[in-house]
Amino acid sequence: MSAASKNLWRFLFATTAIILLAAVLNFVVDPLQLFRPARLFPAMYSPSSRMQGAGLIRSQDFDTVSMGTSVAIYFRPSDVDRVLGVRSIKLSMNGSNSHEQSFVLAAAMERRPKRVIWQMDDWIFRNAPEIDSGIYLPADLYRRNAKGVATYLFSGAMARESLWILARAIPPLEPIVARFTNGLMFKFPVSRVDDINTRRPDFDVAGFYNAKSALADFRQLIDPARSSSIAEGYNYDAMVRNFERDAVALIASNPDVTFDIYLAPYSILQFVAMRDASPSTLKITYDFTAYAFPRLLQFPNVRLHDFRDVKDVTHDLGNYSDVIHHSPVIDLKVLSWLADRQYVVDPAAPLASLERLKAQVEAYRVEQP
Amino acid sequence: MLFNSYSFIFLFLPLVLLGYFALGRRSQLAPVVWLALASLVFYAFGGWQFVLLLLLSIAFNYGVGYLLIVPKLGSRARLAVLTTGVAGDLVVLGIFKYAGFFAANLNALFSAGLIVNIVLPVGISFYTFTQIAFLVDAYRGNVARYALPHYALFVTYFPHLIAGPILHHKDMIPQFERAETKRPDPHLILCGLIIFAIGLFKKTCLADGIQPLVAQAFGPTTPTFDQAWIGVLAYTFQLYFDFSGYSDMAIGISLMFGIFLPLNFNSPYKAVSIVDFWRRWHMTLSQFLRDYLYIPLGGNRHGRVLRYVNLMITMLLGGLWHGAAWTFVAWGTLHGVYLCINHAWSNFGPKAPPRFARLTATAGVALTFLAAVIGWVFFRAPDITTAFAVLSKMADPTNIAFGRVEMMYALFVAIYAALAWFAPNTQEIMGYDHEKRSVGENLRTRRMRPLFLYAATAVLAFGILGIQQHSEFIYFRF
Repeated sequence: MSAASKNLWRFLFATTAIILLAAVLNFVVDPLQLFRPARLFPAMYSPSSRMQGAGLIRSQDFDTVSMGTSVAIYFRPSDVDRVLGVRSIKLSMNGSNSHEQSFVLAAAMERRPKRVIWQMDDWIFRNAPEIDSGIYLPADLYRRNAKGVATYLFSGAMARESLWILARAIPPLEPIVARFTNGLMFKFPVSRVDDINTRRPDFDVAGFYNAKSALADFRQLIDPARSSSIAEGYNYDAMVRNFERDAVALIASNPDVTFDIYLAPYSILQFVAMRDASPSTLKITYDFTAYAFPRLLQFPNVRLHDFRDVKDVTHDLGNYSDVIHHSPVIDLKVLSWLADRQYVVDPAAPLASLERLKAQVEAYRVEQP
Repeated sequence: MLFNSYSFIFLFLPLVLLGYFALGRRSQLAPVVWLALASLVFYAFGGWQFVLLLLLSIAFNYGVGYLLIVPKLGSRARLAVLTTGVAGDLVVLGIFKYAGFFAANLNALFSAGLIVNIVLPVGISFYTFTQIAFLVDAYRGNVARYALPHYALFVTYFPHLIAGPILHHKDMIPQFERAETKRPDPHLILCGLIIFAIGLFKKTCLADGIQPLVAQAFGPTTPTFDQAWIGVLAYTFQLYFDFSGYSDMAIGISLMFGIFLPLNFNSPYKAVSIVDFWRRWHMTLSQFLRDYLYIPLGGNRHGRVLRYVNLMITMLLGGLWHGAAWTFVAWGTLHGVYLCINHAWSNFGPKAPPRFARLTATAGVALTFLAAVIGWVFFRAPDITTAFAVLSKMADPTNIAFGRVEMMYALFVAIYAALAWFAPNTQEIMGYDHEKRSVGENLRTRRMRPLFLYAATAVLAFGILGIQQHSEFIYFRF
């Protein structure tokens, strides 16, 4: 064999060895806890909820799953557990659509939870393409198929995280490594499952959630140059199709699971923006509610809560950072309302809350600067 | 199919290599046909619906080329044939690439209500240009008669088909005809693998690694002064490592087949002037524009004023070649202006004393880099308004964030800058010489150093481990 041939084979073998070494490292450390809960090494978690959810479903003990968009992402599972008397995991994902949410919930159903707390709105049903057409949700990790496992094991980024977690497990290195662990350099900077995507205790709530921010966002929304974004993707027929495929089908196929579905207390400005800049979108929103509420109430395992007309909260703009995102204080209120079943939609009058909302939107006048 | 995908690295490439060399033992033609067919399969993965368009384009250009090369036509008839051929190519390119842009502008001007929704076939700009060059050379009498399989392979050759380098028939077809390329050469395969590894590392670890920082300038929120600079510089390095990584991978893959592709990058951010920059950035496009646009327009043969006009036309069209948008027109025009200023300075500016040569060169590198960075703002921005908004933030040092995040990002950008400015480039590391058809001679004559070999294996391993799903090359859009 010539020297060049020998070098070629050496090159190929050494490359294979390094790649296999990385895969072994990822398997042993298992940063996502996909194969087993963390025992040998300290558990670390990622704020990337689409990825982390796959690991949480496998590694945590739970009987309740909470799901939603960014509006429901700052809940602390410990608060949910305390107020509702459950053992929960949080699988909410920023900007998620109904198909992503349904897909992740279906994966969680394999662990047989008793209850799902699902923050739902019309927005998630607008644009919900097939799971594998998106690039953000690692669907194969949830499916735990060969492709998903291989992608996880043969990932250099994951090997870097594994090395970091490994270093953190070595006592003399632990303080230094912990000090440099942050979300900028490492994808798994969170050491407690309860802290994933929550506001830190020192977070400036009043500075972030205030009427000025909410009104500024409102004005931007209704600015004629940008207002077309309000109507983006709103198509009644498509929304109903997505609703049937993603929500109704999942509920129907899990009759033993109680679904607490709630519509979050968006600020009144969200609907007023539609009223002022895109009335046709507001009509679709109303029409969609008029279709979805009676449909959901057909299922005995659904409890439907509508918080959109809770005037004390929705008209107090100091609760909001923009037209929809409320403060952690309201998160706790939502939990107490869910526990007290204070705003449960009455099957005898499924559209009563919608009519109240319509009246509020009609009557509301935005204060001028 | 992407070079940075498992299916390409572990399935497609090994199979095509095995088939090529297995057929090469029996025939000279079969490996060429095999490689052309494999290239069509490769292309079909990116958009099977456009395979027919590619085949029609090859047939059309080969036919036109045949008329120009073989029959004895009069000069007028030859010119008519050439005009038909080039116009045909440009019409197809115009329909697929520019019809939407044209309609959008008509709508903006006259509220015409035109709706044009045409999907851009992958690689159309590249294979159209290579074939226009072939037709022009055939007209000039610089082309021998090529066999159809060799010509088809020249156009479809999968290492370059999607995003270049832009190949020249005179360079490639004789290589496809050589018997030696059909026999496996372990040295070339190893060097090809190492070059491929460097390219893959540039793409998956460097370009994809810095990509999230680009949102600092071009994201949904209005950037501060430092965020705008971080984002724009991040894009400056992302684009370089992405495209030069792709070019390295193309060169490396081709080398495994024994075929030398032309260089496309030569450390462009080390350029001491804009003229120098264009000799180092997307070199095959620069050569094409020079030989088939700038020189036919008259080049510098008709006085200084016309030279500047020709430069502006060339760069404006070069910008438009990248994409059907006013941002690309602005980018091309800006570089045209840069080149005119550069030439004017060379002609009329003061000459620096030799003792300041080093200082002048350093200043030249800094100024050229800054000019290129400003150009990339137009190249990356979705529209002219955004480009000016980002530039205005870059020019407003009163609004600075510079928190923990920005400091960390600035450090990342500094590391990338150090790589681009001070690290040797791929051809320097590997001793790749396209003209002499040689590579890694130092490695061949001396026993390969284990450290070099294992460092290269680590680069390939990290490159493979860094593969992310759905990470396309930026130049696929052009």
